[in-house]
Amino acid sequence: MNTSLSPANAILLVGHPNVGKSVLFHRLTGAYVNVSNYPGTTVEVTRANTRFDREAVLLDTPGVLALPSRSDDERATMRALLHENSRCLVQVGDAKNLRRTLTLTALLAELGVPMVLALNMHDEAAARGVTVDISALSEELGIPVLATVATGGEGIGELTGSLANARKPQALLRYDADFEAEIAGMVDAITRLAPHPQLAARGLAILFLGGDSAVADWLRETAGEHFAELEQRCRGAAEHTDGDLPTLLARERTEAADALAASVIQRAVRSSPLLSQRLGQYVVHPVWGVPILLGVLYAVYQFVGVFGATTLVGLLEEDLFEGILNPAFTNFVNATVSQAWLSDLLVGQYGLWTMGMTYALALILPIVTTFFFAFGVLEDSGYLPRLTVIANRLFALIGLNGRAVLPMVLGLGCVTMATLTTRILHSPRERMITIFLLALAIPCSAQLGVVLGMLGGVSFTAVLVWALAMVAILLLSGFLAAKLIPGRRIPLVTELPPMRLPIIGNVLKKTGGRLKWYLLEVIPLFLLGTFIMYALDKSGGLPAIIEAGEPLVSGWLGLPKEASAAFVMGFLRRDFGATGLFAMAHTLSPIQAVVGMITITLFVPCFASLMMMVKEQGAKVAIGMVAVIVPFAFFVGGLFNILLHAVW
Amino acid sequence: MSPKHEARLPLAFITPGSEVRLVALGDEIDPLQREQLTAYGLAESRPIRVLQQKPMTVILADEVELALEHAVARYIWVEKDASPD
Repeated sequence: MNTSLSPANAILLVGHPNVGKSVLFHRLTGAYVNVSNYPGTTVEVTRANTRFDREAVLLDTPGVLALPSRSDDERATMRALLHENSRCLVQVGDAKNLRRTLTLTALLAELGVPMVLALNMHDEAAARGVTVDISALSEELGIPVLATVATGGEGIGELTGSLANARKPQALLRYDADFEAEIAGMVDAITRLAPHPQLAARGLAILFLGGDSAVADWLRETAGEHFAELEQRCRGAAEHTDGDLPTLLARERTEAADALAASVIQRAVRSSPLLSQRLGQYVVHPVWGVPILLGVLYAVYQFVGVFGATTLVGLLEEDLFEGILNPAFTNFVNATVSQAWLSDLLVGQYGLWTMGMTYALALILPIVTTFFFAFGVLEDSGYLPRLTVIANRLFALIGLNGRAVLPMVLGLGCVTMATLTTRILHSPRERMITIFLLALAIPCSAQLGVVLGMLGGVSFTAVLVWALAMVAILLLSGFLAAKLIPGRRIPLVTELPPMRLPIIGNVLKKTGGRLKWYLLEVIPLFLLGTFIMYALDKSGGLPAIIEAGEPLVSGWLGLPKEASAAFVMGFLRRDFGATGLFAMAHTLSPIQAVVGMITITLFVPCFASLMMMVKEQGAKVAIGMVAVIVPFAFFVGGLFNILLHAVW
Repeated sequence: MSPKHEARLPLAFITPGSEVRLVALGDEIDPLQREQLTAYGLAESRPIRVLQQKPMTVILADEVELALEHAVARYIWVEKDASPD
């Protein structure tokens, strides 16, 4: 991260999770960020130039539940505050939950950076009978306060206009006299030993006394050998305090926020819960929750598995590519290219166009498009956090809590992205187990679509057998992993954001952004994979691999020996391998289709997600996981071959 | 010790639909999770509406809907609100 060298042009969006920072970021920059109606979507700082001022850079920071920072995403936000040369902060707050918003303001105000407060989702607040006296609040804080609805674009012009008037906020509280004495001592020490070029020493002192590890790291780096004095002062303050100092400081901020909120907020008495609240309760209802979940899964299956993987793939692959584009392109190449090897490379059996581009555009693109759209609708509806409640008991069996369902469901979109999102989990143990399970048993959307397309063409029973096998393997592997990896399970505490009717324009934007990212990632890899297959074929390597793999692929898995080629492709991307099996679907029996799909689903994750595993867990752990996964995939595939022949 | 000590009940035992006030977050709760609960707005004497208890405790505190596992909810001490809603 660039630190003190950057000019003071950074505007930081800061706020609680799921208050609309990323939507606001998109409104103000036009840049796409993965935005969802659940906490923890933004796990890294994203930056882009603003539309309203080409000199300014806007930073979207991960949501902070509270400061001092405790989790990885809170530390990422704190590091942005420490290292960016900020022009001002825009705190994005939830208008219907002013107390919580102001608790964070109480701390941000101590940092001495000019601020603007955007009270977002004020439409939802109004629907709940909550009215905030914006001008009174602005006066009390001494900074511009705006009411916004980021999803609908309300108040955005006023917000950008107010940035020029950003001011250093007035303090919301004076702490208890004993605490103030400790803070004053620490302020003095920081001013002497590690002054920050921008942030007020008082803010840093409160954060350090509150146990903020990102601030501690910065002070350690800046104060050098003198950090010991700061550390000793911090220990001394904790010893002088009757009780837990960070908790007591946080309590005083909460009380101050309570008092201010009470003075500017009005609540109308509401006779009955809103429809969205009632719907939200049905979704996690002990009786109705599971049928609703099954209904949602069935709808997604119909949209992605039937409409996307059958209807759209049929139109694109059979009618457009096989019927029109491929013959035309093949004729063109044959007529214009005289070298046989080159025409074969372009339009042969392993041709860059006839295999690579056809797989990517005709087979995979319609599937991932429908999946990303369906996923976007679920994200924006607020259903996914409620899924954590339904899934919690199941995940308790594998030593996790329901929160792990979020990366897993995200993994059904993209395992690479989901591996990054495991940062929302609270302990290293939870992260390691979840990353392992993502790599092992969670198919990404492209692969899922191919599986549904192929097995859906066989029978519903085939889909069911595959799905049950995956769930059973997920639970069994998770159970064993939880037993082997030391540490304790953390019980689930989660916020359930309101159920909302998704705005189709936003879902389409999000789908478009993901598709762009997908195409940029997948097409080069598909072309590379096709080229490797071509080279292996021409060099005689592929027939040799097929022969060498025959005992395993034909003997143990019961598949045609040509399926070895699909597993070679699977080393690059699982969905590429799955597509290879899909392409030979007409030659496979139902049992072979199921066994092939189970094996390739469990197979090594794609190259990109492997790199992400290395980034998140280190090379040693990532390689260890792959070393377990590859033999395990073949072992389980073979077991299902035997089992299904015995019962089917 | 509070004179209302005997009236303290675990949040996990409260019937759905009831309105209660938070008395304390028990020491049995992990310190980080206690901070998390405070950040969500669960502070002393705050009103809480219990929405459901199964499969997890779901509450409404201000306008924040929270789902808590029983392992946490049983150590959140509350007292029944004397005044009707």
